[in-house]
Amino acid sequence: MPEPRSTAPRRWAVVAVVAALLVAGPLAWRARPVAADDATAAVVAERVRASADASWSGLVETSGALQLPAADELSDLGRLLGERTRLRAWWQDDRRWRVDELLPAGEHGLRRDGVGLVSWDFERDRATVSRDPDVRLPRSSDVLPPALARRVLDGVGDDDLERLSDERVAGRTALGLRVRPPSPLSSIDHVDLWADRETGVALRVEVYADGQAAPSFTTAFVEHDPGRPDDAEVGPVTGQRVDVEYDEALDIADAANQYAPLRPPGSLVGLPQAEATDGAVGVFGAGTTQLVTIPLRGREAEPFREQLQAVPGAAVTAERTVAAVGPLTVAITGSDDGGLLLAGWVTPEAMGRAAAEAVAGYEYTGDR
Amino acid sequence: MSELSQRPVAVRTESLTKRFGPVTAVDGIDLEVREGDVYGFLGANGSGKTTTVRMLLGLVLPTSGRVEVLGEPMPSAWRRVLPQVGAMIEGPAAYGQLSGRRNLALFDAMAADGDRASRARRVDDALEQVGLGGVDKRPVRAYSLGMRQRLGLAGALLRRPRLLVLDEPTNGLDPQGIQEIRRLLLELNAAGTTVVVSSHLLAEIEQTCTRVGVLDRGRLVLQDELDDLRRPTGHVELTTPDVGHALGLLGGTVVAHDDQRLLVRDPDPAAVNARLVAAGVRVTSIAAEVRRLEDVVLAATRAGSDRFDRPDRPDRPDRPDREEVAG
Amino acid sequence: MIPVELSKLLRSRRTWMTIAMIDALPALVAVLLAVTDLGPRPGTGPAFLSAVLTDGTLYPLAALAIVLPLFLPIAVALTAGEAVAGEAQQGTLRYLLVRPVGRVRLLVAKLVASMVFVVLAVLVVAATAYVLGVLLLGDESITVTGPTTSVSGTALSTPELVARTGLAFGYAILCMLGVACVALFLSTVVRTPAAAAFGTLGLLVGSTVLLTLDAAQVLHPYLPTRYWIAFVDLFRDPILWRDIVRGTLLQLAYVVVFLGAAWASFATKDVSD
Repeated sequence: MPEPRSTAPRRWAVVAVVAALLVAGPLAWRARPVAADDATAAVVAERVRASADASWSGLVETSGALQLPAADELSDLGRLLGERTRLRAWWQDDRRWRVDELLPAGEHGLRRDGVGLVSWDFERDRATVSRDPDVRLPRSSDVLPPALARRVLDGVGDDDLERLSDERVAGRTALGLRVRPPSPLSSIDHVDLWADRETGVALRVEVYADGQAAPSFTTAFVEHDPGRPDDAEVGPVTGQRVDVEYDEALDIADAANQYAPLRPPGSLVGLPQAEATDGAVGVFGAGTTQLVTIPLRGREAEPFREQLQAVPGAAVTAERTVAAVGPLTVAITGSDDGGLLLAGWVTPEAMGRAAAEAVAGYEYTGDR
Repeated sequence: MSELSQRPVAVRTESLTKRFGPVTAVDGIDLEVREGDVYGFLGANGSGKTTTVRMLLGLVLPTSGRVEVLGEPMPSAWRRVLPQVGAMIEGPAAYGQLSGRRNLALFDAMAADGDRASRARRVDDALEQVGLGGVDKRPVRAYSLGMRQRLGLAGALLRRPRLLVLDEPTNGLDPQGIQEIRRLLLELNAAGTTVVVSSHLLAEIEQTCTRVGVLDRGRLVLQDELDDLRRPTGHVELTTPDVGHALGLLGGTVVAHDDQRLLVRDPDPAAVNARLVAAGVRVTSIAAEVRRLEDVVLAATRAGSDRFDRPDRPDRPDRPDREEVAG
Repeated sequence: MIPVELSKLLRSRRTWMTIAMIDALPALVAVLLAVTDLGPRPGTGPAFLSAVLTDGTLYPLAALAIVLPLFLPIAVALTAGEAVAGEAQQGTLRYLLVRPVGRVRLLVAKLVASMVFVVLAVLVVAATAYVLGVLLLGDESITVTGPTTSVSGTALSTPELVARTGLAFGYAILCMLGVACVALFLSTVVRTPAAAAFGTLGLLVGSTVLLTLDAAQVLHPYLPTRYWIAFVDLFRDPILWRDIVRGTLLQLAYVVVFLGAAWASFATKDVSD
């Protein structure tokens, strides 16, 4: 008698094999091994520091778990630190670059064209031109892995470094490095970063808060091209109907820095004032142990204080409100009207002391 | 019999078996249909008729066994076989929103052999053949059951097939319609078409077919020429008012009798009649006993396969008592 | 078989009713936008919808963004889910197969018919949206002649806009091809066309839900709806190809796997409906 003729099992086997190949192929391609590199931690750190002038372009994905109080004045900061974002960047040097934050249905672009800063908002169909001061709120260009890695390595000695195994990031071989903050004041436990073996440009940075197993903030290239981008790619906004506005102050920090009649103290909780300080906003410490103080007027401070008080675990007293979101600690002094806003990578305890010192140490310079 | 074996085989199956999970729907059947036959495929509902027909047409794959249709293996040779086959399987089906004519044209256009130039004419011819020649443009969903049945038949006839496979072709037709269809099948057969008709109706098979296969619970329990099945039994059946006299005269050749009728073991009614009349026995009627298809089938099959009797019960109370006729 | 399927598709009143219903939503949105002049708040609403108030030629894209997440896939799932299960339910499948129509040829013809349906629906939506966009929205005098603004804020000439719009629609059609293949496969497995359509939509809804879940991150690159909205990337300057390319490959993988599965399931399936 002839055997059963059903060929169905064979056909299903073919389909299963094809499906398995399609699923596993990309995984295997990404998991291909990385050649080991014997560079020491200090050498890797030096390469990252030396890459400050490197040009590159690429696509970066960030993901953060830092839920900032939702205040309009903080611009896009909440989204940058608390959500998943995609940034497309072209970087010639510190003075000519373009970073586009890609939104599902639009784009927020920042362009630095040598003199000023142009920010572009597709959904509002608006471009804003402003100056680009050193003292300002963090923005998309600050969370790019190269920028963040250099900031993290600022003020870190060789003893605080440790070599991690090498990985493949955005298809490039990257050398791993673990950075532990040198100061006990820091709220950051450690930062892991991976830098391109050829150019030293950091390709992936992970920030871990004290006592957290998962990173509080991750930024990494998913595509990276070490070549210098064309001028056309970093070029200005040129759409015909674009409304262009001119802003005197970039953001709330810049405004306070320029206009508040106050001067910050020389140091806070032992952290010296940084060179960048040139107005009412104080920048203290460096790298993984940095904090800023921003004087706010009543109508700016009050909504912010309300939001901060609503953060779970916020310590609220008549003198100040201190809250920690991951490794980021935020405080605002006073209980109503204006006050000092403090933010930084320090422990809540250190932040409380810093707030008290700042209130005592700020100097009134009178109406200018 | 010798004439039969000379004709080529239209349908042949060898140990054809189909299992659906644990259920054996068709169990090792060996069909043989010769070209020129009108083959009656008889069986109760659920006996495996439809599954067998579907296996002939490649719709259902056999679990084991072999199917050969028009000299080629099925389903592997479907490309060559099926264009020569017209079929109606388990009732007609059509696109309800389209007219009958449009349905036929659509089905004709589906395969490459549906010649476009002759399509309209062939559609008209097929509709004419089944008595739908004057049908209007109304959609098929407005058709009566009988009209749908005729349309299904027209679809099977569209390509003038060598082999027609029809499942319950007279379903839903009135007696006149049944008569028409029967005549049509005989005409087609006379013109050389081999016809396989499956049905659960004995009378239908008996009146149309030349050859019969009987399926019971997935097994082919009987397959023979109808004429052979209905050959005389070698008995004479007669009725007479003078039963006692006749019994005395015929003696040991009487197989059975009641107060009017006698059954006599003798192949020749004329001789028996002559003897009785010569002896003064009045004969009301006399004839050679012929087997009826119904008896043959009932003898060959068990209870209807939609019955599920408890095993401790006697098999079937109304079973005929004369088992020997089931040859 | 393909001409027969196309003729069935194009002569069916249901086809045109479905397309009209798909088209009605963007048309209604265009009228509402024109009457109220209220765009969605930034960061909300479908892509390009806030931009069409100043540039009506972008409305076909906004319309695409409106119909792509829900209306179009539902229509495709219903149409392709009908393919085999619908014929089986009507009883016509057995007559198709003994006609004879080869089983693979039947699957291909059904897929082609589903895709023609998608292309028709998309073209009707694009054409309606263009006409409505130019007539009701935006500033005609500028948009018809002059360049448009890309998502990145750079100028986009009219030929560029047309080419990119064409690419976007092509990409959307490809995404729907993936949906159609899933529905076609399910249609060979289940007994009713509704079950095939709901199964397909279940997969799409599940995919959409998993995309919002960080815990499912490893699965994200394999989810069918992952890259649907990537057509927006075609209007960035320069075009961001990464997601478009991945989306294209993903959809092709879905087409290969599910078409293969449909073939595996149907080629020797017992047709006993």
